Amino acid sequence: MIKEREGQMKAEDVKQARKRDLTEKIVEKIFFICAFMGVLSVAAIIIFVFYKGIRPFVGENAYSVAAFLTGTKWAPRENVYGIFYMIVASLLGTGGAIVLGVPIGILTAVFLVYFAPPRLAALIHPAVELMAGIPSVLYGAFGLGVIVPLIMKISPEVQGQSLLAVIIVLAIMVLPTIVSLSETALLAVPKKYGEASIGLGATKIQTIFKVDLVAAKSGLMSAVVLGIGRAIGETMAVMMIAGNPASGLPNSIWSMVRPLTTNIAMEMSYASGTQVNMLFATGVVLFIFIMIVNVTLSRMTRKAGEKA
Amino acid sequence: MSIKAKDRITKSLIYIAAGLMGAILITILGYILIKGLPGISLHFLTSDYENKTTYVTTYFYVDNEDNGQAGYIGNLDASLSWDAAKEEVVIMSIGTGSPLTKALDGSGNAYVIKKGDAVEKAGDINVKEELSENKSGTEIVSEIETAMETNTDGYMKLKIQREGGGILPMLVTTLYLILLSILIAGPIGVFAAIYLNEYAKPGKMTRFIQFAIENLAGIPSIIYGLFGSLFFVQVLKMRYSILAGACTMSIMLLPIIISTTKETLKSIPMTYRESSLGLGATKFQTIRKIVLPNAISGILVAILLSVGRIVGESAALLLTAGTVAQIPSALTGSGAAGATLTIKAYTLMKEQNDLTTACAIGIVLLAVIILLNLSIKLIARKLKRG
Repeated sequence: MIKEREGQMKAEDVKQARKRDLTEKIVEKIFFICAFMGVLSVAAIIIFVFYKGIRPFVGENAYSVAAFLTGTKWAPRENVYGIFYMIVASLLGTGGAIVLGVPIGILTAVFLVYFAPPRLAALIHPAVELMAGIPSVLYGAFGLGVIVPLIMKISPEVQGQSLLAVIIVLAIMVLPTIVSLSETALLAVPKKYGEASIGLGATKIQTIFKVDLVAAKSGLMSAVVLGIGRAIGETMAVMMIAGNPASGLPNSIWSMVRPLTTNIAMEMSYASGTQVNMLFATGVVLFIFIMIVNVTLSRMTRKAGEKA
Repeated sequence: MSIKAKDRITKSLIYIAAGLMGAILITILGYILIKGLPGISLHFLTSDYENKTTYVTTYFYVDNEDNGQAGYIGNLDASLSWDAAKEEVVIMSIGTGSPLTKALDGSGNAYVIKKGDAVEKAGDINVKEELSENKSGTEIVSEIETAMETNTDGYMKLKIQREGGGILPMLVTTLYLILLSILIAGPIGVFAAIYLNEYAKPGKMTRFIQFAIENLAGIPSIIYGLFGSLFFVQVLKMRYSILAGACTMSIMLLPIIISTTKETLKSIPMTYRESSLGLGATKFQTIRKIVLPNAISGILVAILLSVGRIVGESAALLLTAGTVAQIPSALTGSGAAGATLTIKAYTLMKEQNDLTTACAIGIVLLAVIILLNLSIKLIARKLKRG
């Protein structure tokens, strides 16, 4: 009798174990599908945006890709779509923001790591976090209410909306990214490097600039690249202060510009037909720039990882 | 130049840079505060954006003594007065038991008349018509007062205008979007992080997934907006709606939620899992009963970060959730569109050149963001203490 019972229990155990195994497998599959959503999302974004963006350039009445990429006039009513001047605007805006923002950002990080009294640092950290969290629309409001009127006072042009306004606001917007990533990179430099340098008779400043900053090079570079990504993709803040002309390359920092991002955001809500596809094509160009930035970034972090 | 002089110059540059950083932040915050503060009021936070006209019926069933005050209506327990600036008859005060708080609108639903509502018509008296007959405001008020106090029907029809200019619809839309997006992205993100940290074996597939998620984080929001406006709004026929906005936001949130949760999972000691497994628990049981409870605060941080992202987002929502200042009445289709606070701040600046109201919204946004940052700090500190 006891034996019989044991046999029954075993059969039930086996059944239960099987059920458990099945649940385990299903659960794992569900988790996997969730993780795979990231891949699906990227794929869907690429497929949909590229499909729509490539359409105007194939088939009948195809628009010339060369005319699109080299044109300096955007006039949907006349069926003229040239984005070269927007590419230039995006690159100049981003480049200017990096030139202006990176030195300030890295020097601030140096201040935080090597000079700031702990109390002051404890005050600056939340400030940097707050700056990173301020919505871009509010940076736009600040640009429109403060930067643009200031520029209007000194500009030879009649309006304050200009490449310079874009550069200043973007530089401010990339600062928190650059400060916090540079700080992390500097903190990761082993203390003994600096100690050795000081021991050899170098001053503190010499040590920071010739040893620590050099050792943190790859981290600093990632900060810069991430800043580039943020600047080139920024839309709303820039839209309000760029001026967004319908044509023309900028010929000075006082000229109005129309970056790629604002072109999309401005016209998307009312565009129809070919114009929509052309806006998607603008998106494709922007996407390619972003991809270059992303790939550079992941190469750099991988290299840094290998070194460590 | 001597090394000392060089050092001094560099050092002052470092101080200048840090000072500049602080000055910039103070200028931005100061500008938004000074510009927006005059716009902040209780009315601003709790009112509708558009002016709203409603026809209501009120009954007269209280019988208070007329206290002799001009404009006080005994059988309504409320008083009217003339607002000279707006040229309107305004309800000055309402007693707690006033029938006005139990008025009925055209379809028989209760409509609570509030202090500050304007009376455009009371029975046969049309305020605008009376005005065009060159009557003074006080005359009109006393005319309405007499008509109400001598009313024998027991009820009277009123045309009530409620002043807009508030941000309530945007607050509600933002809240809806936060709830919806986190409802969608939260579970997916957390499960994905569990897979990547607990199940995935290092290999091509895992690297591929990681790579995709990293890239997702780098895509600018305007591209998400383009994709959302094509895929969710058009292909899935959601139209400009909060669901289309929430779906688009969900994809944007995935990288934040996944990476934050993964960091937390990583920080849970391996021994916890080993002891659970050693006691005979299955992997899923271990995750449910040991890993997840230990990761709760990290997941909370991920959600708070997501809330910050949604509150601040504009480009993607502009192209998917629309710019209408209304409380969405559905998830998709008509009536489902709605502007968040940030979007409204943008349209106010762009279309109406109204920097003051935009900055007033900005103050609300800043308050939310500061609150979020503080909570995240608090949780992080608690975590450190263990």
